[in-house]
Amino acid sequence: MLRYIIIRFIWIFIVLFTFLSILFVTIRLVPEYPPTDKDQKEIYYEKLRADGYYYTEVIKDPAEVARIRRGQHDPCKKCYYKDETNQYRVYKPVPIASQYVRWVKNVLGHWNWGVSTRVQPNRGVFELAKERLPHTLKLNLIALFIYIPIGFTFGIIAALKKDKLVDNIISLGVMIFISIPNFVLLFILILVFAYGFKWLPTNWLSSDIKGIGQYTQLILPVLALSFGEIAYLTRLTRAELTEVLTSEFLLLARTKGLTRRQAVVRHALRNSLVPLVPSIIFSFVALVSGSMVIERVYSIPGMGSLYFQALTLGNMDYNVILALSAFYTSISLFAVLLVDLSYGLVDPRIRMGARK
Amino acid sequence: MINEKENIYETKSIPHVDPSMFEFVQVDERIFDKKFETKPIGYFKDAMIRFTKNKTNVTASIILAILILLSIIVPVITPKNYKRMEDQVAFLPPRVPLIEKLGILDGIVKYTDQPVRRETIDPDTGIGLPEGKLPQFIIPGSVKMYTRPCHEKNEFCYDGVNIVRLREPGTATLQAKNAYSFVVANNPILEVKVTEIFGTNTKAVIRLALAPNNALDLGEITEPGTYRFNINDLLSREEDFDARVQVVASSDIQDGSVTMEYIKLFDSSSEEPIVDENGYYFSVNYVMYQGNGIFERANGIYYRADFEYNIYADRFFERRERAMSEDQYLSIINANPSACVVVPNSEEYPDVLITYKEGCPIKRVVKQNEPMVVDGKTYNTYDVVLDYMRYKGYEKIPYYLFGTDYEGKDYFALLWYGLRTSLFVGVVVAFINISIGIVYGAIEGYYGGWVDLLMERFTEIIGRIPFLVWLSFFLLLFKKPGPAMLILLLTVTGWLGVASVTRTQFYRYKGREYVLASRTLGAKDSRIIFRHILPNGIGTIITASVLMVPAVIFSESTVSYLGYGIGRGTSINLGLFELSGTSIGVLLAEGRTYIVDKPYLLVYPTIIISILMITFNMFGNALRDAFNPSLRGSE
Repeated sequence: MLRYIIIRFIWIFIVLFTFLSILFVTIRLVPEYPPTDKDQKEIYYEKLRADGYYYTEVIKDPAEVARIRRGQHDPCKKCYYKDETNQYRVYKPVPIASQYVRWVKNVLGHWNWGVSTRVQPNRGVFELAKERLPHTLKLNLIALFIYIPIGFTFGIIAALKKDKLVDNIISLGVMIFISIPNFVLLFILILVFAYGFKWLPTNWLSSDIKGIGQYTQLILPVLALSFGEIAYLTRLTRAELTEVLTSEFLLLARTKGLTRRQAVVRHALRNSLVPLVPSIIFSFVALVSGSMVIERVYSIPGMGSLYFQALTLGNMDYNVILALSAFYTSISLFAVLLVDLSYGLVDPRIRMGARK
Repeated sequence: MINEKENIYETKSIPHVDPSMFEFVQVDERIFDKKFETKPIGYFKDAMIRFTKNKTNVTASIILAILILLSIIVPVITPKNYKRMEDQVAFLPPRVPLIEKLGILDGIVKYTDQPVRRETIDPDTGIGLPEGKLPQFIIPGSVKMYTRPCHEKNEFCYDGVNIVRLREPGTATLQAKNAYSFVVANNPILEVKVTEIFGTNTKAVIRLALAPNNALDLGEITEPGTYRFNINDLLSREEDFDARVQVVASSDIQDGSVTMEYIKLFDSSSEEPIVDENGYYFSVNYVMYQGNGIFERANGIYYRADFEYNIYADRFFERRERAMSEDQYLSIINANPSACVVVPNSEEYPDVLITYKEGCPIKRVVKQNEPMVVDGKTYNTYDVVLDYMRYKGYEKIPYYLFGTDYEGKDYFALLWYGLRTSLFVGVVVAFINISIGIVYGAIEGYYGGWVDLLMERFTEIIGRIPFLVWLSFFLLLFKKPGPAMLILLLTVTGWLGVASVTRTQFYRYKGREYVLASRTLGAKDSRIIFRHILPNGIGTIITASVLMVPAVIFSESTVSYLGYGIGRGTSINLGLFELSGTSIGVLLAEGRTYIVDKPYLLVYPTIIISILMITFNMFGNALRDAFNPSLRGSE
């Protein structure tokens, strides 16, 4: 088992690392967007030099300096010319291969993901993300604690009352909420409850608001996030449970004298859990990426809106993109590992990676 | 032993029937090798029967068909404009025939808190005309007038006082922007009304600045009151002169202030003051000149109105068109010979060049502009007032069912046009995904072993990277969003599902005898894959792929909403027809920005996309259930 987990970890690492490396090289090849402010720019390039991505050259030759000042030199694309009255200090990038080696060393050795260039110039990317993380986590965890019990309950009711009125209503609801994209659902909720009835805020109010506002501002995004997941879980639970309810071992349970309730609770539910637990983990991954768009629509200052802020056209913040891509990709990768391990936990007969 | 009561299968006892009670239907002919007279029910017919059995799904499919038809037909046959910008009719609310009689969707806008000029207020009724609106289109009886205090430097903020406030102890000088002319012969008198002086040792000195370094004090004010300065007595100048008035406020404390109501200049040439600086005009005609102080407004009064307004009638009433070319002008006149008859100028507009009879697209010609000479040819242009409704060729004010957007495009047509884009992208991308998925899955499943293992790892890497991370990657690669990026983005992870279904199907069929037989006869791999195994598994694969279209539309609308789709204004040329970049997602994003006061721009696309997604999914599920009854209710 341990060996299996270790192999899986290495595999995750390889996938993550390969993708990030491709992303890193792509970023170094496209035009860059350093901070716009002059002072910030100087600090930024100095930081790049300290991190080993750039080196400096001083141009002292007065003729050369004059030419640069007149703009007659042929500038290298990614260089930065710092004017120091009588001389120019030129920041030049080291070759991409060496930059890459430095980057790997910085990230793995010092956990240095670089600094932001446009979102908040010269702030550490990791620090910036850490600030935004609580909002994203809060949103997703509340949604998680809401959708799992509700989804289960509806699924169980629908399966037990199969083909009755209740089941039909639930199935229709499932069809509706599974179809509508969650951000469109948020529009509907905002239009009805925020603009129509004026019960709830139309936007995220503030991160450090006190009083009732800090709870009411969460209601709409959490609802928009959960509805789709509730529908998904309901459908899954219903399908699994109906299958188990018609299976032979349940018939055996009834024939040996258990009541219907006992048979359902002790045998059917437990067995239908096996494929459900992994689905829940996958749905949580879907939830996390779904919340990126929700955050953007409701202007919640979470990781997702940070990501899109960094992705603004013509105003990109590469280090933020890189770090957050790593974050979201690793969530997705670890979820798979968790899914595989959870099979073994829920059903002891399944031993992952065991030799036959 | 099984307890009789708890046995879930109640066996019904079969009553004993005497064999002699049975009789043969027919005995004289052998019929066992005869053909059935009824038609056999084939695979598709069977599926069709199952499909039509579920009434909900049939309804959903019909609605879906209507949506698709509308998206194809409406943009073609609509007489309304949905492609060009037409600012005159921008932001019209929805107006629907018949329903408008109920008082909803009638194209009437409720305005709240609109400024009213005090001059227009009728002293008897107390009702004034809201700024920029035409009185005949205000719904009678809907106007509610009220006043509220204001302190903005705004021409609708009437009366009030203006305050010179010091930010720190010391002096601050307020100066008029324009110099006043003082005519000695007319005995000019400057009047200043000060209503409040605040702070220890606060005072105001009224000064006349003749030149930058030449100022003359008129007097000092330390108490509130109305002060009159007789210029001739104080300065005893003999010639007329121009000077700017300055108010020098000084105080020992921070926030010391001098509050003034007006500055007036009287002279014997007229009863009325020559210069009357009060309220808003005082606040803009005087600026801080020296010292650290601010010049503020306070205690002003806003006249405001809430009212309902027939914006359709307003927008289609008239439009001033500057520089209309002579060719266009003549073609309009010649096209309507009966209506365009010159009549005498009306009392309302006596100064215009020509007035046309009611019913002509051109109401009045205001003036002829300077002719332009280009390459020796003279071009005449006219400044005209159009009857916008007739100019656009309408007999009555038109109905915009879903209103118009910020560019004055008919939102009804635009929505179906956008839906067409979404559907088209959905179908095309689904086709690409299914094609890639089938080929990839077929190779995986057919060859198995190492090939399968490696290819599975590859799909795993691609599939594990979140969709929006792919978005950022492609954004970096392509530098700006466009059709190619959108299609690549929707394809990159889209084919994985189809590939996995196909792979399973191939694992299922590749060991069958007919495959072995074919191989024994020397068939190549490609022949076995595409002619033998694939046709057997295709039913399952295709039905699993039906739901691909709504899934792609889902992703496309998300990407477009985020602003990384094709985008409005751009289009893909497909040879036969042009596909606009305006998809439902783009319309949703635009609607979001106007959510506060024009919610219909968000409501309609939201409703359309919701119905589309729901019916499409229901249709897809129904189709899959019909073809694979065993899958019903799952997934």
